[in-house]
Amino acid sequence: MSDDNNVSATLAAATCALLGASAAAPVMAEEAERWSFDTALLYYGESDDRVQDVSATIGAQRAFEDERLLNLTLTADTLTGASASGAIATDTPQTFTSPSGRAVYTTPAGKAPLDDTFLDTRFALNVGWSQPLARLYTLSAGLGFSTEYDYTHLGANVSLARDFNKRNTTVTAGLAYSEDDIDPVGGAPLPLSQMLDVGDQSNKRTSDSKDVIDVLLGVTQVLSRNTLLRVNYSYSQSSGYLNDPYKILSVVDGVTGDAILRTPAPGVLGPTGVYLYEGRPDSRAKHSLYAEMKHAFGAPVLYGSYRFMTDDWGIDSNTTEVRLRWPVGDTSYVEPQLRYYMQSQADFYHPSLVQGAALPAYASADFRLGEFDAVTLGLKFGHRTMGGNEWSARVEYYQQSGTIDRDQLIGNQFAREQVPDLKAVIAQFGYRFGL
Amino acid sequence: MKAFGLFAACLALQGCASVGVEPWQRDVLARPEMSLDTNPVDAAIDDHIYFSKEASSGGRGFGGGGCGCN
Repeated sequence: MSDDNNVSATLAAATCALLGASAAAPVMAEEAERWSFDTALLYYGESDDRVQDVSATIGAQRAFEDERLLNLTLTADTLTGASASGAIATDTPQTFTSPSGRAVYTTPAGKAPLDDTFLDTRFALNVGWSQPLARLYTLSAGLGFSTEYDYTHLGANVSLARDFNKRNTTVTAGLAYSEDDIDPVGGAPLPLSQMLDVGDQSNKRTSDSKDVIDVLLGVTQVLSRNTLLRVNYSYSQSSGYLNDPYKILSVVDGVTGDAILRTPAPGVLGPTGVYLYEGRPDSRAKHSLYAEMKHAFGAPVLYGSYRFMTDDWGIDSNTTEVRLRWPVGDTSYVEPQLRYYMQSQADFYHPSLVQGAALPAYASADFRLGEFDAVTLGLKFGHRTMGGNEWSARVEYYQQSGTIDRDQLIGNQFAREQVPDLKAVIAQFGYRFGL
Repeated sequence: MKAFGLFAACLALQGCASVGVEPWQRDVLARPEMSLDTNPVDAAIDDHIYFSKEASSGGRGFGGGGCGCN
């Protein structure tokens, strides 16, 4: 009897769904052919007057008949502030030649050197198109372009998805290629060449380039009526100029660990220590395994993701993120968020280089290639208006804590803070509307 | 190796065939917040920030890039 009831209920639900779908179809088609916009204003600010970024993004989506979709995203970024140069902190003030090669800047004693000549404006445009190819196939393709004062990016991507098992399983394969041109302020320094006095550009080339190929294979699976899982494997191969042209390493005494001092040529400004520009390998292969899941506990929705990445520079990383979207009344929600990230250091990460020792083939003191943990704590609030639009506000706190292997510190370096924590606040306001 | 990969993929798909829901059971999955790409702008912003500050990128989609920040 109970089985019969279940069958009747299921059939009734199915009939309603089918009738509902066919009745709603013309209306949906009419509504689908509209523009919808997703906009965001972002502030990103690091403590101690380091990087500040204000950014505006406009995403526009136009739906056409037969489930064809056009996506456009335009972003403008304005960056200012100071960025860690990679040189070590010392007990005396340090003077460096600025990247342009036309001036110097000085770091106070005891402080990790920051290059405060950092200033950039970036514009990025992405265009995407997706459409069904056959009953179970979806083709997506996109183009991306971005430009900064010292950097230009051009990229293209294509992917194909196929549904299986009553559309409970979707398998996706994608390919992306990008070509980036780097034209650093003052030229691209030769890897591991020494920072020179103001006006001496003999170790700088004009520009360089890199290309990146990405391959992505993914499976999305409906696990139950309220659970969805996606697993992606991706491979990324970068080749060309992979250095950060503004990052340097200090050359130090092998016993005291103090920076080796130098005197600029008479009548010329220049660095007061021996600093080498970083040199990274000219290729990098990364493998990532990524999984994300959504589960609805009634109205609240839990999101969780995990990523493992490993590359041939010796960096392994683990990233975990959890978000819980909790409805407040009928039209609002709050969404707390927690993210934890940890990475190991690159094989060629050196906090400093020892004077007189053989130069390694590759070396970088960029903190982003060192070992660190990072935590993000965030909260988002969203509200749907009477007209069906939605605004949201998001606040996040991000903190990185680095660790340098004790074997890599020398003498007096132990007593100084070599990796200052990075603390940043992220505030974002978003508005979604349709036309 | 390729044959093994193909075999594993087929096996996985067979396994997936027994998991899932009927078309009329998609009420919860059809809710906008259940989409894995609910907030593409938030995701793009996060990817861009983490790409600039960490040595890893991508995973969810194609690796971040198009920026001289790393």
